[in-house]
Amino acid sequence: MNRAMAAIIQKDFKGVAANKRLFPSLLIVPLVLAVLFPAGFVALLFLLSEELGELEQLLALMPQAELAGGVERTMAALLLNHIMPVFFLIIPIMASSVMAASAFVGEKEKHTLETLLYCPLSLPQIFRAKVLAAFSLSMLVSLLSFGAMLLVVEIELYCFTGSLFTPGVSWPVILLLVAPAVSLIAVTLIVRGSAKAQSVEESQQGAVFLVLPLVLLVAGQFTGLLLINAWFLLGLGVVCVLIAWLLLKRALGRFHYETLLK
Amino acid sequence: MQAVELDHLSKTYPGGKRAVDQISLALKEGEVFGFLGPNGAGKTTTVKLLNGMLTPSEGSCRVLGFDPSKQPERAHAVSGVVTEHAQMYDHLTGLQNLLFYGSLFGVAPSECEKRAKSLLEQLELSRAGGQKLAAYSTGMRQRLSLARALIHQPQVLFLDEPTSGLDPESAQNVNRMIRRLAGERGVTVFLCTHQLRYAQEICTRYGLIDQGRLLAAGTLEELRARVSPGLTLSLQASRVPDSLPCRATGAGLFEMELHSEEEIPQIVRQIVGAGGSLYQVLAKRPSLEELYFALTAQQEGEGQ
Repeated sequence: MNRAMAAIIQKDFKGVAANKRLFPSLLIVPLVLAVLFPAGFVALLFLLSEELGELEQLLALMPQAELAGGVERTMAALLLNHIMPVFFLIIPIMASSVMAASAFVGEKEKHTLETLLYCPLSLPQIFRAKVLAAFSLSMLVSLLSFGAMLLVVEIELYCFTGSLFTPGVSWPVILLLVAPAVSLIAVTLIVRGSAKAQSVEESQQGAVFLVLPLVLLVAGQFTGLLLINAWFLLGLGVVCVLIAWLLLKRALGRFHYETLLK
Repeated sequence: MQAVELDHLSKTYPGGKRAVDQISLALKEGEVFGFLGPNGAGKTTTVKLLNGMLTPSEGSCRVLGFDPSKQPERAHAVSGVVTEHAQMYDHLTGLQNLLFYGSLFGVAPSECEKRAKSLLEQLELSRAGGQKLAAYSTGMRQRLSLARALIHQPQVLFLDEPTSGLDPESAQNVNRMIRRLAGERGVTVFLCTHQLRYAQEICTRYGLIDQGRLLAAGTLEELRARVSPGLTLSLQASRVPDSLPCRATGAGLFEMELHSEEEIPQIVRQIVGAGGSLYQVLAKRPSLEELYFALTAQQEGEGQ
C-alpha cells in the first residue's frame, strides 16, 4: 500500500466520523447488540434467579461440558457463547455497509468521486484503498464492540458471582474469520450496487440481504434445528471467505471510469 | 512532441447521441487554447475523453504522449483538471483538501503545505484556508478547485468553465494566473467556455465547436482571414461623397467594408476634400463572438 492509498483510507475514516447521519448508526447498533443486550440478559438472569428453577431440567439435557456451575452461570455462558456470536455478526455487516456506502456512493453523490478519479492512481488502487477503509473500520468497530461487551459482562458476572466469564472458542472464530469474511461480502455487495445507486441509502439496501441468513441462523438455533458451535462457525467462515474472494474479484472487473461516473 | 493531440476523436453515447464527432487538433506547449461552444456542444465530453473518464468510440487522443484511455494514471500525473462536477470534501478545510490531493499526487507533505499556502494566497483564499469547505461560496469553491488542479504543478491544465460563478475581480485574477502559468512556466491550457468575450481576453488560439463538430481552429487572425478577411470602417460625418461605397446606418453614420487599413487615409482625404466634416473614424475587426456566429451560420448553410 502506498502513501496515496493510505491518504484515501485516512480521509474516508474522517469522512464517516464527520458525517452526522452515518456516525450515530455506527455507535448505536454496537451499543445495543454488544452492550445493552448481553448486559440486560445477564442482569435479568441473576435478578430473576428464583424463576429459573424450571430450567434445571432443561439444562440437565445439555452436555456436561456446557454446564458451568449454577443455572444462572450456565444460562449466561449459553447466551454469550452460542447466541451472541450470531447476533454479533450484525455489527461488522452494518459497519462495513455504512463505510462502503459512504466511501463509494457517498463520493458519487457529493461529486467528489470524479475528482478522485483525476488523480494518478489506477482504478484497482482506488478500489483496494476504499475496500480496505471499509474493512478496517468494520474490524475496528467489531473488536471494540467485543471489548466493550466483554468488559461489561465480566464486571456484571464478577459482581453477581465473584468469578469471571471465559469466552468460548466460538469468539476467536467469529472475530478472526467470520466477521472479516462477512464484512468483505457486505463491502462487495455495496460496491456492486454503487454503479447504479444514486444515494447512500439506496446502496445500503444490498447489505440487507446479508442480515437475512443471520435471522435464519438465529431462528435455527432457537428452534433447536441446529447448534451454533465453533465447528459450525468455522465452516461458515470458510464458506464466507470463499464467497467474499469471488465477489471481490468480480466487482473489481466491473470497476470502470465510465460506469462509475454514470 | 505536442502537448495535447486529438486525432479524429469521436464519442457516441450508448443512447446513440454523437457528442464528439471526428475532432482533430494539436496543442503546442505553453499554448492557451480556447475550446468554445454553446452548452451541449461537446466541450465537457472532450475534456472527459482527454482525461480517460470516457473511452473514444473512434479515433484517439494523447496528453504529453500518454493515451488517457490506456494509461490514465500517467496522463493524470501530468495534468490538472477543473470541471463543474469535480468537487472536494465539505468536511475538510480548504487547506486540508489541498494537502489531501497533494498527497495523492505524491507531493511531499512539507512541499505540499508550502505550495498549498502559496496557491491559497494567489487565489485570495488565505483567510478561508482554515475554514471547512461547507462554508465556502460557489466562487470560493471554484478558486479552490483551481488551486487543487495546480497543487502538483501540472504541465497541462484542463479548465471547464473556470470563471463561472466568479465575480469580475476574481475572474480577472484567475485570468492573470492562467496567463502567467502559460507564459512563465510553459503550462498548456485547454480552456472550455461558452463565454466568448472572456476567451478572447486570455486565449492564444481557439477551436470553435458546435454539435460535436469542430467548426474552425486557429488564432484570431486566422479565423478572421477565414470568415471575414477585411475590416469594417464606421464613420460619423456631415456628408460623404457618392463615389464612396458607404451604407448609411443612422443620421450622419456610415459604414463600409475595407480590405486593409491602408485604405483609410485616402477615404478621409476624399470626405474632407468633398467639403464634408468628419467627427469619428473607427476601424472594426470582427470579434470572436461575431466570428463564431458567422461560422455557425456558414455551417448551417452548408448543412441545408
